Amino acid sequence: MAEFNVATREDSLVNVIDLKGYLDAHTAPELENVFTRLIDEKKYKVVVNLEQLNYISSAGLGVFMAYIEPMRNNEGDIKFTNLSPKVYNIFDLLGFPLLYEFYKDEKEAILKFNQKSAD
Amino acid sequence: MKSNFLQFSRKRKLEKAITLSVILFLYKLISPYNTTLIPLLINEVIVISTFYFITLYTLEFVGNKKYSPLSLILNAGILNAIIFFVLAVITLGLNAIFEGLTAENFMYSIASTFYAYIFMAALAYIFSVFRTLFFLRQKRNPRFYFNTMIFFFLLTSVSNNFIFLYPDVDYIKSAFLVVTILLIAVNSIRVPWIAFLIKKEKIYLLIISIVLSVLFAVNIGLSSSANASNKVLLMFSPSLYQFLNLLMIYGAIFFGIIFFTTLFHLPTAEAFDRKAQEASSLIDLSKLLTQVFDFKELAGTITEMTTQVCNSDSAWLISGKNGAMSLAAVKNIGYLEADKMFSLISSKENLNSIVSVKTLTLDSFLQPANFHSLAVAPLKVHDKINGYLIAARKSEDVFDDDDQKAIGAFADYAAIAIENAQLLEESIEKERLEKELDVAREIQYKIIPEKTPQIKELEISSVFIPAFEVGGDYYDFFELGNERLGFVIADVSGKGISAAFIMAETKGIFESISRLIDSPKEVLTKANEVLRSSLNRKSFVTAIYGLMDLRSGTVYLSRAGHTPALHIRDNKVEQIRPDGMGLGLDFTENFNCSLQETEIKLKENDILLLFTDGITEAKNSDLEDFGFERFEKIIIEFTGKSIDDLSNSIMKQVTIFSQGNPQHDDITLVIFKWCKKNNIGEF
Repeated sequence: MAEFNVATREDSLVNVIDLKGYLDAHTAPELENVFTRLIDEKKYKVVVNLEQLNYISSAGLGVFMAYIEPMRNNEGDIKFTNLSPKVYNIFDLLGFPLLYEFYKDEKEAILKFNQKSAD
Repeated sequence: MKSNFLQFSRKRKLEKAITLSVILFLYKLISPYNTTLIPLLINEVIVISTFYFITLYTLEFVGNKKYSPLSLILNAGILNAIIFFVLAVITLGLNAIFEGLTAENFMYSIASTFYAYIFMAALAYIFSVFRTLFFLRQKRNPRFYFNTMIFFFLLTSVSNNFIFLYPDVDYIKSAFLVVTILLIAVNSIRVPWIAFLIKKEKIYLLIISIVLSVLFAVNIGLSSSANASNKVLLMFSPSLYQFLNLLMIYGAIFFGIIFFTTLFHLPTAEAFDRKAQEASSLIDLSKLLTQVFDFKELAGTITEMTTQVCNSDSAWLISGKNGAMSLAAVKNIGYLEADKMFSLISSKENLNSIVSVKTLTLDSFLQPANFHSLAVAPLKVHDKINGYLIAARKSEDVFDDDDQKAIGAFADYAAIAIENAQLLEESIEKERLEKELDVAREIQYKIIPEKTPQIKELEISSVFIPAFEVGGDYYDFFELGNERLGFVIADVSGKGISAAFIMAETKGIFESISRLIDSPKEVLTKANEVLRSSLNRKSFVTAIYGLMDLRSGTVYLSRAGHTPALHIRDNKVEQIRPDGMGLGLDFTENFNCSLQETEIKLKENDILLLFTDGITEAKNSDLEDFGFERFEKIIIEFTGKSIDDLSNSIMKQVTIFSQGNPQHDDITLVIFKWCKKNNIGEF
C-alpha cells in the first residue's frame, strides 16, 4: 500500500501543507479534509510543500482545483514549492504553471504572500 | 394442545369444586348438626375434599401472577382484611342474629353454610398465595418441607374433631399444633424472592408485611375467642375452623419474618438494584452486538445505557474513524456542549495515555455544562483505541470503583459493537462500489471503438486495458471524409462511475465537434467550453486531438494537458508537446491562449504513438514507475517490427514490470504507422 501523509504548520501567517508519499484517488480525501479545515478557519494563504511527494494522480491534482477558488476569492492563494522534477513534470504537462505559482523554495513563496499583504 | 388440556383440567377442577359444594350443601340440609363419629366423619371428608378442589382452582389463578409477588400479597391482605371485618362485625353486632337461630333451624343451616363457603373461598385463596410465595424462586425443590407442613395442618385440623368425640384427648391436638407452628416458622424463612425486588418494592413490602402481620395476629385472637361466628364455623366443620386458625398463625409468622427479612435487605437494596441494572444492561448490549445494522442507532443506545449503568446525568460517545475523533451520540447533553467538553478534556489530558477508565473532576467555571465529575472510558478493540465513552455527573459524588468497573465493562462491549457496525457498513459500501464499478466498466467498453478504421495509407493498432477501478481512458477515430481522419485520446481525472460518465460525455462532444470544426486547437477550445457545464470543480480531462490528411500525411495536433504524443522516425523518439492546459482547468481566455497547434509531416514508416499515463506510471512492487526511459527503449527496439508487435511488446513489458502490484489506472495505447508505399507502390 502506497503511503501518504499530510501535515500542516504555520509560518508568518501563511499555512504550509507538507505532503509526503503518494497522493492518489484513495489518499486525496485526507488532503481535502485539510483544505476544508483551513477554509473553516478562514486561513486562505496556503503554501504546499511537495518536497517529499513521490507521486500525484489526477484525483490529487483535482483537490487543488477544487479549493483554489475559495482561497483566491478571499485574497489568498495556493502556491507550490520544492517540487521534484518528476512531480513538476506532471503539473507542467497539465498546464498548472499557467494557473498556479510554483517556487523552488518555500521561503520564497511565503515571502511572496507577505509582500503582497504589505502592499 | 397443552393449553387446551390445561383449560380442560381447570374446568374440571371448577366442576368438581362446585359438585362437592352442592353435595356439602345438601348434606348440611339433611344433617346440619353432627357430633357423632360417622356423620362427623362424612361431614369432614366432604368439607376437606371441597376445600381441596377450591384450592386447586384458586392455585391456577394465583400461579399466573407469581412474578408479581407484591400484588399477590396485597390480594391475600385484602381477603384477610375482609375476614377481619366479618369477624369483628359479627363479634360486635351480629351475635344476636345467629344466636336467635337454633341449630336445627332450616334457615340457620342455609345461612351458616353460605357463611362457611365465604370463609372457605377466602382461605383457599390465601392458602394458594402462601403456597405460591413459598415455591417462588426456590433453587432446590422444597416440596418435602411444604408437604410435611400441610400434613400437620391436616392432622391438627382433623384432630380438632376430638372436642366433639373425645374431649379428653385434646392434648393430641395441642401437640400437633406445636409441631405445625414449628414447621410454619421453618418454612417461612424461605423467602429468597425478596432479594430480587427493587428498592421501592422492598419499602412497599416492608409496610405491607408489618400491617398484615399485625392483622393476621389480631385475626388469630378474633378467631379463637368464643363468639358467634366461631361457633357457626365450628359447628359447620371443626377442621375448617382449625384450619382458619392455623392459616392466621401462618400469616402472622410469615409476614413477621418477611418484615424482618426485608428490613435486613433494605440497606443493600440500592447496590443490588444497581448490579441488577448493570447485568441487564450488559445483556441488552450483548444482544445489540449481533443486531445493530445502523451505527447511529447503536451509538444512541450506548450513550443511553451508559447513563443507566453508572447512574450519570449525561453521557456522550466520541468515535474515531480514520484517526479523526468526532462526536457520534449524546444523551442529556447538547451536541455543541459535548463537543466543547471533549475539546476541554483533550486539552487537559493526553487522551492516548488513557488506557482504562479514568475519572476527572472539573472546575465548573471552565465548562459549558455544570458537571462535577467525569469518567472517560476508552473504546478499545485489539489494543487500538477507536473512541471514548464519557459519562458525567453534576452531583458531588465522584465515580467510585464500582462505577468505573461498570463503565469499563460496558465500554468494552460497546467498542466491539461499534467495530462490528462499522465493519458492516464498510462491507456494504464495498459491495455498492463493486456494483458501481461493473456499471462503469460496461459504460467504458461501449465507448471505446470496437475496431480500428481500415485505411489504406495507415496501419493502426490500439490496445486498451482497463484498471480494476475504471480510470476514465477514452480514445476514438473519426472518418471525416475527404481523406481525413480525426483521432482523440483522453483521460478523465478521478475514477469509477463519475469518471465513466464524464468519459461518455467527452465522447459525445468530440464526435459532434470533430464533424463541424477542422482545427484541433479549435476543437479542444470548443470541447472545453462544452465541458464547463458538466465538470465539477475538481474534475478535468486531458486530451490530444489530431487531424490527419491522408493524402499528404500531414498531422495537425493539439494537446490539452495530456501526456505528449510520440513521433518515431529512424529509431529516434520525439515528444510532440505543444502547449495547452487540461480541459476543465480554466474556462477563461487563459485556456484558449494556452493552446497551441502543431503540424507533423509524416514520412514513410513514421510512427505516431498516443498513450495515457497508465503506461509510464505503471508501478512495480517497490512503487517504482515504469517511466519514460523504459518505454522509449522498447519503442526503439521494436520499431522495425509491425505495429502490432510493437504494441504487444510494450504491453508485455509493462505487465512484467508491474507484476505484484495491481494495475491502478487504465492503459491505452494507439499507434499509427504511415505506409503510403504499400498502396501506391512508390518504388
